[in-house]
Amino acid sequence: MRQIRLILILLVVATTAAAAAFPPINYKHRVLPNGLEVFSAQDRSTPTVAIHVWYRVGSKNDPEGRSGFAHLFEHIMFKATRHMKAEMMDRLTEDVGGWNNASTYDDMTPYFEVVPSNYLETLLWAEADRMGGLTVDEANFKSERDVVKEEYRFRVLAPPYGRFFNAIEPSSLVKHPYRRPGIGSMEDLDAATLDDVRAFHATFYRPDNAALIVVGDFDQQQFDAWVDKYFAPIPKPSTPIPVVDVQEPARTAEKRVPVYAPNVPLPAVALTYLAPAASSPDSYPLAIAEAVLSQGESSRLYERLVRSGIAQEAFANADLRADLGLFAAAAIMASGHDVGEAEKIIREELQKIQDAPISAAELEKAKNQIITSALRERETSNGKAFAIGEALVVHKDASIVNTGLARLQAVTAADVQNVMKKTIGGGKAVVITYMDESKRDAKKSEGGAK
Amino acid sequence: MKRLIALMLLALAAAPLSAQEVTATAQDQQVSPPAPAAPREAKLPQPVEKTLANGLRVIVVPKHDIPLVAATLMFKTGAEADPANRPGLAQLTANVLTKGTKTRTAEEIARGVEALGATIEASAGWDQSSIDLSVMASNFTKALVFVGDVARNATFSKEEVDLQRSQTVDSLQVALRQPRTLGSYVMSKLLFAGQPYGHPAEGTPKSLEKIKREDLVAFHKANYRPDNAVFVVAGDIEPDAVFNAAQQQFGSWARGTATKTTMTAATTAKPASPRVVVVDLPDAGQAMVVVGRQGIRRTDPNYFPAIVSNSVLGGGYSARLNQEIRIKRGLSYGSNSSFSARRNAGPFLASTQTKNESAAEVAGITLDEMARMGATDVPDTELTPRKAVLIGGFARSLETSSGIVNQVATLALNDLPLTDINRYISGVQAVNAEAVRGFAGKNFAGSDASVVIVGDAKKFIEPLRKRFPDVEVIPVSQLDLDASGIRERKAKQ
Repeated sequence: MRQIRLILILLVVATTAAAAAFPPINYKHRVLPNGLEVFSAQDRSTPTVAIHVWYRVGSKNDPEGRSGFAHLFEHIMFKATRHMKAEMMDRLTEDVGGWNNASTYDDMTPYFEVVPSNYLETLLWAEADRMGGLTVDEANFKSERDVVKEEYRFRVLAPPYGRFFNAIEPSSLVKHPYRRPGIGSMEDLDAATLDDVRAFHATFYRPDNAALIVVGDFDQQQFDAWVDKYFAPIPKPSTPIPVVDVQEPARTAEKRVPVYAPNVPLPAVALTYLAPAASSPDSYPLAIAEAVLSQGESSRLYERLVRSGIAQEAFANADLRADLGLFAAAAIMASGHDVGEAEKIIREELQKIQDAPISAAELEKAKNQIITSALRERETSNGKAFAIGEALVVHKDASIVNTGLARLQAVTAADVQNVMKKTIGGGKAVVITYMDESKRDAKKSEGGAK
Repeated sequence: MKRLIALMLLALAAAPLSAQEVTATAQDQQVSPPAPAAPREAKLPQPVEKTLANGLRVIVVPKHDIPLVAATLMFKTGAEADPANRPGLAQLTANVLTKGTKTRTAEEIARGVEALGATIEASAGWDQSSIDLSVMASNFTKALVFVGDVARNATFSKEEVDLQRSQTVDSLQVALRQPRTLGSYVMSKLLFAGQPYGHPAEGTPKSLEKIKREDLVAFHKANYRPDNAVFVVAGDIEPDAVFNAAQQQFGSWARGTATKTTMTAATTAKPASPRVVVVDLPDAGQAMVVVGRQGIRRTDPNYFPAIVSNSVLGGGYSARLNQEIRIKRGLSYGSNSSFSARRNAGPFLASTQTKNESAAEVAGITLDEMARMGATDVPDTELTPRKAVLIGGFARSLETSSGIVNQVATLALNDLPLTDINRYISGVQAVNAEAVRGFAGKNFAGSDASVVIVGDAKKFIEPLRKRFPDVEVIPVSQLDLDASGIRERKAKQ
């Protein structure tokens, strides 16, 4: 804790008034003998507490032929455990005025509950119980698998642009498992079995592959004692934790991927480039570039594409993950406009940001936008717990939650220019176009996504 | 960080597993979770208010933990006031509001606001049009200059109106291919045809073509005025600072003189007899199933019985609809229901997306669950947790500045006392099983609910006809949201 305060003092001296007002998250960190990392930060302003357990396993760990499995597994974690019947987690949260959820990312699967703070011990018990093992039966497994298939339809098949966003990763990457959409495919979901569930838990759901993050209203001493009581006895398996170390090869040529789908009212286009991992120092200039290109109505892509009436929506996204990143710029066209127009403008803007430094005003604006968003996230205990977890797992350093801002403030216009030269100038685009099924015959398919 | 020996696990199924299988503990040996400690009381926000000489009501809720401020300048007129032949007027007015004033272009407004790290968003919904601000506390007064400028001095140039119109038409094109949005448009039309809440708030491609710049100017003049407005601010700021800033930005703003636009009709009219309508969207990736009826107004004396009844039926993950449809049968990613309690009675909607093949089954389950609510008492073991869901959700909504602004603005919009924020929890707690059954018997159980299903009709029409022989099927190409009905008078093909 002392160390964090010290860093903040430096930060106040070094940066603007806005940054000085940025309150730190004063967390306490310890590691149990079984490897479980524990982060706790008190906030007694409301009588609620957020309990998170982040497992370092995600869609990139989907077994071969089982795309979507990590996500399916996440759903199964709400079914039976040694001492809990199916859906008991809902009884302990929703029924007392709290809530729970979980989400599967490429690199991690956070589970969380927000409850009245007098239920903290109850939830620590419950999270420890499901870390210890699942006892789900065949009927519950199959029914939940059907729910996940409905989620696939809900996210991918029903929305007009669901298949577009779902095509970006498979089209952009050739080797790294990030190429498989986390939602999976219907065939792979059907192939999953209860044995897969047991194996996945034994392999990845273990104290030395997890972090417990608790933010909110609690007594520190009491909390530490509960953690020792419920989590410390969970054994650390002797098997190694499998690690994904696949290297995505650099692109050698540009690639075009046409995608067609039913009920697409307006065509869309995305250009993607390989980008560094979130832990790279380049992540800060990339975040600034993303904001300058597409955050708000004064951003470059918005002004050139949307204000001009060429596109309905335009965005840039520096999606940086633990192993590698993707930088994407995309547009959904306005009616009467062709994807070629947007592609040309996106390329011009990506060139311009390499050719000349962004203005001082743009740099300052982007920093203010990012800081304000971070403040909004930290309004709740749950948001603070997310910020700690993301720093820990994606950026691979929890202290970034408090030091990241100083690093962002230190970014110069030249840094942004150099990083964009490296990422865009030194890269090759994958261009994904998205059109209505009826357009497929108009142009001979170039192969593309299945 | 310790680096482990890199090992990509390609075939997990084939990997040796040392961990033993975990088995369920016998029922009598299962350990119960530790009991909760004594609860702590939540502190509720204490709004402070003042009315400026021109009638602008200013309400402030200080909250100092994070250096952020959220605010809304809300005008008590919205899409319900769209003239019958101009659906979409209120929203188009709001969308163009930030696109130029007497002294600033659209670009200058966007650049000025965003330089502060702030966002200003103008929008119109049912009963209100709002300019929402989110900004770090130190930049509040600077950002408020832009709110004041767009609210008072928007110019609605023809070019900006045309651009926003074409963007709205394009976004409607997307909405009209999406089962979810199509379902809600059609249901609104069935429930409120010819009444203020009956049209899409966005308008329709045809109605938007009819709206002229002068319509926006007139709507703005009539309704964006201090004596029709409430300014709500929450966050890291003192009331006096807000009152001063409000006086500076809005104090010289004259009361309105034009007649305020009011609802074109009251939504007290009984809905037309219930209908079962299928909108056939071939190749739809999923079907949207909506069951709806006219609901309640926000000031209805049955507001609390209504929201508690809904919490049991479909308000949340463990409510009955999601239990039956998702948890027991795996038919959907989620099913839920809600009341839109507006100034007049808004809709009650129970909505589920499901694969096309199970649309008829889902519609049946939804209606059966609604009927069950009126047939038998909800046991206390179910009612108590469903009330806790409402109370917990309410308390959490007050943890953010924008959540506080929403709660307070909703009370102000409906002319409810701000002290009602202290009565929400007791209002929910007072509802018992008898009150729920009484409310549900009248409002859920009757046969006056309509059903709309948007999806690939050939995959569910046969089982649907078994329960609803009178079902009407409308191809999406013949759907007409501008007609007094919902179908084009003459098919085009």
